[in-house]
Amino acid sequence: MLAKYTVRRVLASIPVVLGVTVLTFLVMHATAGSYVPGLDLNPYLKPADIARIRSNLGLDRPLYVQYGTWLIGIAHGDFGRSLLDGSPVMSHIVERLPNTLELTVTAILLGVALSIPLGVTGALRRGGKIDNLFTLLSTAGFAIPQFWLGLILILFFSVQLHAWRLPWLPSGGAFSSFNGGDVMDRLEHLVLPATVLSFFYLSVWSRFVRSSMVEVLSQDYVRTARAKGMPERRVVYVHALRNAVVPLVTLVGLELPALVSGGLVVEVVFGWPGIGRLAFERATQYDYTTVMGITTFAALLVVFGNLLADVLYAWLDPRIRYA
Amino acid sequence: MIESTADYELAPDRQEIRPSRPAQSYWSESWERLRRNRLGVAAGTLIALLALMAVAAPVLQALVTHQDPSRQDLGTNFDLPGRAHWLGSDELGRDTLTRLIYGARISLGVGFLTVAIQLTVGAATGLASGYYGGVLDDVLMRIVDVVLAFPPIFLFIGMSILFRPSTVTLSLIIASVGWGVVARLVRGEVLSIKNRDFMLATRSIGARDARLILGHLVPNVLPVMIVAASLALGQIILIEAALDFLGLGIQPPTPSWGNMLTNAQTYFVHSGWLVIFPGLTIFVTVLAANLFGNAVRDAYDPRLR
Amino acid sequence: MADHLLEVRGLKTQFPTKDGLVRAVDGVDFHVDPGETLGIVGESGSGKSMTVLSIMRLLPRPGRVVAGQVLYRGRDLVKASEAEMQEVRGEEIAMIFQDPMTSLNPVYRSGWQVGEPLRLHKGFKLAASLREAVAMFGKVGIPEPAKRIENYPHEFSGGMRQRAMIAMGLTTAPSVLIADEPTTALDVTIQAQILELLKDVNREFGTATVLITHNLGVVAGMCERVMVMYAGRVVEEGPTEDVFADPRHPYTWALLQSIPRLDADAHEPLRAIEGMPPDLSSLPDGCAFHPRCPFRVDRCLHDTPPLEWVGQTQRSACWVTQGGADLNAATARGEEGESRV
Repeated sequence: MLAKYTVRRVLASIPVVLGVTVLTFLVMHATAGSYVPGLDLNPYLKPADIARIRSNLGLDRPLYVQYGTWLIGIAHGDFGRSLLDGSPVMSHIVERLPNTLELTVTAILLGVALSIPLGVTGALRRGGKIDNLFTLLSTAGFAIPQFWLGLILILFFSVQLHAWRLPWLPSGGAFSSFNGGDVMDRLEHLVLPATVLSFFYLSVWSRFVRSSMVEVLSQDYVRTARAKGMPERRVVYVHALRNAVVPLVTLVGLELPALVSGGLVVEVVFGWPGIGRLAFERATQYDYTTVMGITTFAALLVVFGNLLADVLYAWLDPRIRYA
Repeated sequence: MIESTADYELAPDRQEIRPSRPAQSYWSESWERLRRNRLGVAAGTLIALLALMAVAAPVLQALVTHQDPSRQDLGTNFDLPGRAHWLGSDELGRDTLTRLIYGARISLGVGFLTVAIQLTVGAATGLASGYYGGVLDDVLMRIVDVVLAFPPIFLFIGMSILFRPSTVTLSLIIASVGWGVVARLVRGEVLSIKNRDFMLATRSIGARDARLILGHLVPNVLPVMIVAASLALGQIILIEAALDFLGLGIQPPTPSWGNMLTNAQTYFVHSGWLVIFPGLTIFVTVLAANLFGNAVRDAYDPRLR
Repeated sequence: MADHLLEVRGLKTQFPTKDGLVRAVDGVDFHVDPGETLGIVGESGSGKSMTVLSIMRLLPRPGRVVAGQVLYRGRDLVKASEAEMQEVRGEEIAMIFQDPMTSLNPVYRSGWQVGEPLRLHKGFKLAASLREAVAMFGKVGIPEPAKRIENYPHEFSGGMRQRAMIAMGLTTAPSVLIADEPTTALDVTIQAQILELLKDVNREFGTATVLITHNLGVVAGMCERVMVMYAGRVVEEGPTEDVFADPRHPYTWALLQSIPRLDADAHEPLRAIEGMPPDLSSLPDGCAFHPRCPFRVDRCLHDTPPLEWVGQTQRSACWVTQGGADLNAATARGEEGESRV
């Protein structure tokens, strides 16, 4: 049953993969086409040589053949080469992805860890001053531009604290270039960007946990738990909470694609050496192939991530396999 | 002492039935609910005022602030808020307040235009997909899957280097992802409405497709769309500002709230306040848009009844 | 009179809402003794559920008990602290609810939930509580109990789930079992089984059982005594046999009349009770039932009748029957179309 479901989901993903790769291929072809870095500018090459080089690189083949080459390349992990210096996109991805993940995973974990207590507290003291305060904060948090928040935090924690001769936090990079790189150093650099990135998640998820908790607390089985003579603390933390966080798992799962791309703005503001910042830098230099290569990689990651999530859900909940 | 039932009144007097409220349509009832939400009304009014301000920017500039947004005056650069520049001036001596007023044109312009495009394209797709089903549905939804597979920010960056950024192109770029979400939403609503009895009944009296879609589906799908639109406005403004900030959106010297912050990092150390006003403006606007969106959802969302 | 196991005196429960003060329970008296079975009957909104939730102090917000006493073994539960109530709930007085699907926690195994009262109140360890759960499952008629305790609630059928709930209520051998509409959410055939089970349990364990229902048939099959509620008040009370044979309140009379009979003439109209159920936030003056009562007299419009003895075994809150009228006789006369006065 599970196998059949998996096969069905894989088959359904194929058109999407094709769609993604066709789209990115067309864009690259339209922008960079048969451009080979340095070829046209080299004064020592005769037109015949240029034509021969192009032919060797397969640039005179029909479009669908070139697409096929592109597709096969992807299957082997080749996402193209930079227009600027010919370096393989994949090597950049491999180099930068761990940094991005360090940032985004921390932000998501922070978000989950903080939104649960905030949400539960809001639900338990529903309508009270604390609850109203939290609701206000999360509504505000939802409206703050990430880049602005980053700048403000840098302004205070890096510039101001330094001016006041207090211990301050670094304003950029993932680690110090000299006598740095140890765990404490990396953590110091991680604090501000991770906080900014998790702010948004926190705002949304804490509201969600709160409303989920409020709904669970009004359920019949909570009344049954109380009827069994249970102390209220146990009712909330053993019987209610387990049920309230289940939908949060779904929400967090939806953010999986953001693991790769979500940190872009934060990476730029904090000079974080991640994949988002790379895409941005290359974009400003019109390095279409790198940008498209990264985009394709990220999109395919999303497709496979969704596929994995679907299969995982079906494994956890047998009722889904028959849908 | 009561002896027999003959003494009793076998009274069939009916208990007086209280008159029920006069019937009210969904639209007027929802509007009433919205009006009574004071926070929502305040937020909506603020947005309206900002829009008005944006449209009337040249008037405001001439009559109120007497400053030209692109006039550089290096003699008064980095001014703190004061008489010459009510909210201070930037690194080239340009007046912050006037630039903010003009910036509203970009943010709100892109915001509303994007919402309009998203809704139109998304709704059309969702309606067609949900109503006709079959191969059309499969194809359209696959296209949506492909579009939604791309992480939006990469897509935005990629597209903004392909086209020269302007209000219109930015709106198209941002809408190119959002329409997919709307399409899925509308399709879902259509599927649930399509099979209700009133649709079958209308069909059985000979109504043709166009009439069914326009006359019956659309009015029922409209509430969900309205809710989605009002909740999206805030996010769109944030995205557009981020693109401007990154330098991939509206280029200087045209003022936009986002690009007014681009150089802020460079001048951080001695003019930190340059960061405050543009960001605050974005924050307040998005907050108002979100609060209004929440109010609209509370009033109009049929799923919350 | 000796102390009863559970006695309710003058209980009043109210809900302050923005549409007015809802008097859900408006002066209720009754008692239950060990081993007895009492049925509480009434339509939706009559206050029957709110009465027992008040006893257990499990009222939903913003409900409050505003007057009266709930004496359990002489102790007034209304004045007890929350900690004291937690000792009583589940251990001395157990309650089971209408819909076992939503009343059991979907993320925990049934055995774990059923054994929980033992872990809470009797200091059992997990393994011991699970063994007891297996034993209880067996007693309530769940086949393969050792396997079943591993199942989640959604893996049970409706009837089995309700049995599991009953098992959960009985593990601590409580003195009183309150069952709030235990069969309403079940198929008719399963209903009969569950009622049989409740009767067996009552006989075997000697647990006093309070059964709440809107179904007169359920009461007839299961309860020794019955209490009829209307608009938050008790309108009639007595042994089931007596009340059903000789109803002493027009509401009870009308309820019994409205039951369709297989031996009735096919053309006879069904007799519904005229009028609408009362609005608990604006009750009429006098007797709450008077707008719908075919027997009413002038006094009913102004004075609220108290619950008094009208006969050897029955009590009724009705001026007419307290004055000696015989409702069955009125029926008989009505059918013959002439008065015999």
